[in-house]
Amino acid sequence: MYLNYLANVGRYIPELLLVVLMIGIIILETTYAEDEKNKKYVFILTCVGLVATFASLVANMSGKAEAIFSNSMIIDPFSTVMKMVMVLGTLGAVYLSTISKDIYESLKTEFIIMAIGVLIGGMILASANNMLMLYLGIETLSIISYVMASLKKNDERSSEAGLKYALFGGVSSGIMLFGMSHMFGVLGTIQFSGMAANIAKLDHTQMLIMMPSFVLFFAGIGYKIAAVPFHMWSPDVYEGSPTPVTTFFAIVPKLAGISALIRVTMIFFLTPSALRVGWVGLMMIMAALTMTVGNVTAIGQKSVKRMLAYSSISHAGIMIAGLVMINDIGVRAVVFYGITYLFMTLVAFYVTSIVQDKYGNDHFERFQGLIYRYPFMGIVMSVVMFSLTGLPPLAGFVAKFNILNALINSKYYSLAIILALNSVISAFYYLKIVRLMTLKTQESNEEIEGFGFLNQVIIIVMTAPVLILGIFWDSIMGLAEGAKIFIK
Amino acid sequence: MHGLDLLSWILWMPIIGVLGVLLLPNEKTTAIKTWALINTIITFALTLVLWSKFNQDIPGMQQALSVRIPWIPQFHIYYALGVDGISLPMILLTGLLFMLCILSSWTQIKKSIKAYFALLLLLQSTVLGVFMSLDFFLFYVYWEVMLLPMFFLIGVWGGENREYAAVKFFLYTFFGSILMLVGIVALYYVTGQSENSFNILALSGGKFTTQTLSLFGQTVSFSKLFFVFMFIGFAIKVPVFPFHTWLPHAHVQAPTAISVILAGVLLKMGTYGFLRIAFPIFPDSAKYFAHAIAWLGLINVIYGALCAMAQTDVKKLIAYSSVSHMGFVMLGLAAMTVQGMNGAVLQMFNHGTSTAMMFFMIGIIYERSHHRWIVKPDGSRGYGGLYTQLPVYSIIFIIGMFASMGLPGLSGFISEALIFIGIYEKYTTITVLALFGLLIGAAYLLWMFKRMFFGDVNPEIKNYPDMTKLEVAYMVPLCVAVILFGIWPSPILNMMKASVGQLVSLLATF
Repeated sequence: MYLNYLANVGRYIPELLLVVLMIGIIILETTYAEDEKNKKYVFILTCVGLVATFASLVANMSGKAEAIFSNSMIIDPFSTVMKMVMVLGTLGAVYLSTISKDIYESLKTEFIIMAIGVLIGGMILASANNMLMLYLGIETLSIISYVMASLKKNDERSSEAGLKYALFGGVSSGIMLFGMSHMFGVLGTIQFSGMAANIAKLDHTQMLIMMPSFVLFFAGIGYKIAAVPFHMWSPDVYEGSPTPVTTFFAIVPKLAGISALIRVTMIFFLTPSALRVGWVGLMMIMAALTMTVGNVTAIGQKSVKRMLAYSSISHAGIMIAGLVMINDIGVRAVVFYGITYLFMTLVAFYVTSIVQDKYGNDHFERFQGLIYRYPFMGIVMSVVMFSLTGLPPLAGFVAKFNILNALINSKYYSLAIILALNSVISAFYYLKIVRLMTLKTQESNEEIEGFGFLNQVIIIVMTAPVLILGIFWDSIMGLAEGAKIFIK
Repeated sequence: MHGLDLLSWILWMPIIGVLGVLLLPNEKTTAIKTWALINTIITFALTLVLWSKFNQDIPGMQQALSVRIPWIPQFHIYYALGVDGISLPMILLTGLLFMLCILSSWTQIKKSIKAYFALLLLLQSTVLGVFMSLDFFLFYVYWEVMLLPMFFLIGVWGGENREYAAVKFFLYTFFGSILMLVGIVALYYVTGQSENSFNILALSGGKFTTQTLSLFGQTVSFSKLFFVFMFIGFAIKVPVFPFHTWLPHAHVQAPTAISVILAGVLLKMGTYGFLRIAFPIFPDSAKYFAHAIAWLGLINVIYGALCAMAQTDVKKLIAYSSVSHMGFVMLGLAAMTVQGMNGAVLQMFNHGTSTAMMFFMIGIIYERSHHRWIVKPDGSRGYGGLYTQLPVYSIIFIIGMFASMGLPGLSGFISEALIFIGIYEKYTTITVLALFGLLIGAAYLLWMFKRMFFGDVNPEIKNYPDMTKLEVAYMVPLCVAVILFGIWPSPILNMMKASVGQLVSLLATF
């Protein structure tokens, strides 16, 4: 048994690379003097490390799906694709952190170190094949996140964000653990597949224990992806944290949580059972609530970051909607959604961050007339806003279309209609930004420094997939389709 | 003709125009305008070529002209274009009106000229795409993409309250179309995700009469539910009462050329949607709801006319008259008889030319007066005595006004007469009531005319110059169309006869 333990370590290279990278940056940071040159090295090293991780993930794609480390983790195309998205998200956030003024210069390296830590947690979560790994993943992810949220030490709101995040996180982890312990008590194993097999044999009383424990279990993951009603922390944390951190939170922990949720759902509820009915019902209600509450609350916001926080809640709701049918079409749709969500979120936050750096706050009025000074930025931001709304021929539309597709394929018409109507609600606040940028005259003639040539190129490169995936989505759809979940 | 098909050329020609506009530098406004004009002339010429190649004896799609290329094979989505007797008049109208709109914008648009013409050409491409698409997904894409240029064209170049109008327009249409999207996807699965699941033609014919589905725990008829969804989507565009409230705002705030496009072409996309999609795919439900549609059409006719009567802003008056006239189209559609349907399609074309005339004329006078009040808010006259001061303007205005009133000899009469003939036997009450709509229509137009053109000369208008050569130039084609098709409607009627007949006989079997 123990020999077998290290046999599959080859499939675990991406995570190991990240660990090495993390340690490497810590050493670099502590041994070199604090200066510009050092920062550059750290950034270059991070980029190289993340790109290497991405490359090894690509290499992992071609291998066959298997369970490693005594079946405690699964390396399958699904987890690999989700990890790739997370790595790209981290890379985006790391670059943003180097140009952002929202993070103290002295803490930028810390941000990178912690981001990589969270990323490792997220990758564990995406691969987890038993309750222990799942819990470890969530905690690795969370504990570092709490620190990240309060990275702006002198800022009250940032400290508040960190504290809030930690308190909510602690409580929800406790609740989740409580739920898990009941599941272990009834099912007698922590292996997902073993648990799934035992669910079929449960009698009536045991089923009655299982139902609430699954609800408790969901509370933990729901908290990570900010599903309503576990979303209360999210807007405050998103608004209080430095913008690069918010960007990072909106992508990595969220997608990690979603991937864990998908895996759990697909393993436990693939076969019909009373529990499945309950779980699907729970997911449907959560999805509908999350979408609607996120969108409706976003309308009244004054801060763009906070608005994006609520919008990301509603997008999580849409992704949960892709889970209720528990089949490959749904998984495919969610994976595709995750990929497009990555690019849209990155661009939206980049532009917001740069505008915020200029004016000191991110109120909607700061976007006034942006298009007249920075036509490219204005157009790019409009494209992303329309894409988030779900307008063809942009990626956001295709993503939503696929979720709708999956819902209607399994005859969840009610949820499909709720999702469709939610797009209209979301159009209202996304349009608000477009309207301010294009229809209002500009607020001032001041130049915004952040939109240098390099940054413009980077933002445009990140927008390109939003446009391309809207028209030629064959290949990425094929990738998402290949992202099958391996059950062992 | 692989790779060289005519429909694709027409569809993508405006996009070539957009690219050209974008490549030209900002300051070279004349070059931009000229390029846009040449581009639209080519597009219009191509639509005329299309007409010449059109075989009007074929009831369905013109196979010789159709295109069908896989776009996303995984989902059986095709780039499928086609033209039949219902879409050809609309394509011709689009080609014509956009060309004239470029001319009308020549002097009227003063800010961000490059962006304006780029968006206008983009709009043309999307509108043509809607009228040509035979793939439901492609249709939806064009239907939605059209919102983007419209949003900016109203929002940036519009009047004072333009933002509100643009957002309202966007949200209303988006709401309607998103429901349609649910229907599109549902059809995709009901037909088993096959090669033809997005093929509008293959879906047609009433194949979904027996299916049911469960919605919020209730069992409902598939066909009826999605007919209602699509009805809402298209009705918002027409606009059918009670979904019409975006229209007056959008019209009043939009710049002249955009009002023309909105009234002349975009409203027809709604009724075109009924003819191409809602009716052929769900004929049973169309039949089932026909009476309700007729009543809604009647409300449109009467309510639109009464609202128009109450307006003191001449542009708003014409906007409400559009609501009223589109009501006639709805009546013709609800009749589901050969005359009624032919009348409806003809009315779509004729209303496109006559309302376009009216909006152009209002734009021209606005250029001179910078207001549009018949009666100013303080109670004084906005105009008055224009007839003696601007004779050329008045003559053309009269032609447009009488055409839209439905005076015999001008285009509006024939289509309205056909509609009434078509609907009389089925809904006699509605017909009689709708005739009052005509009466009110005459009343508000003539009253408007009296207040603006007759009476003592308002000192304010004394130094208004008459129409310039350019203005006359872009009004002449419309005058010709209005008079010509008033006396001799057969070219348009023959064009659509076979296709409309096919649709009517399909509806008759349910």
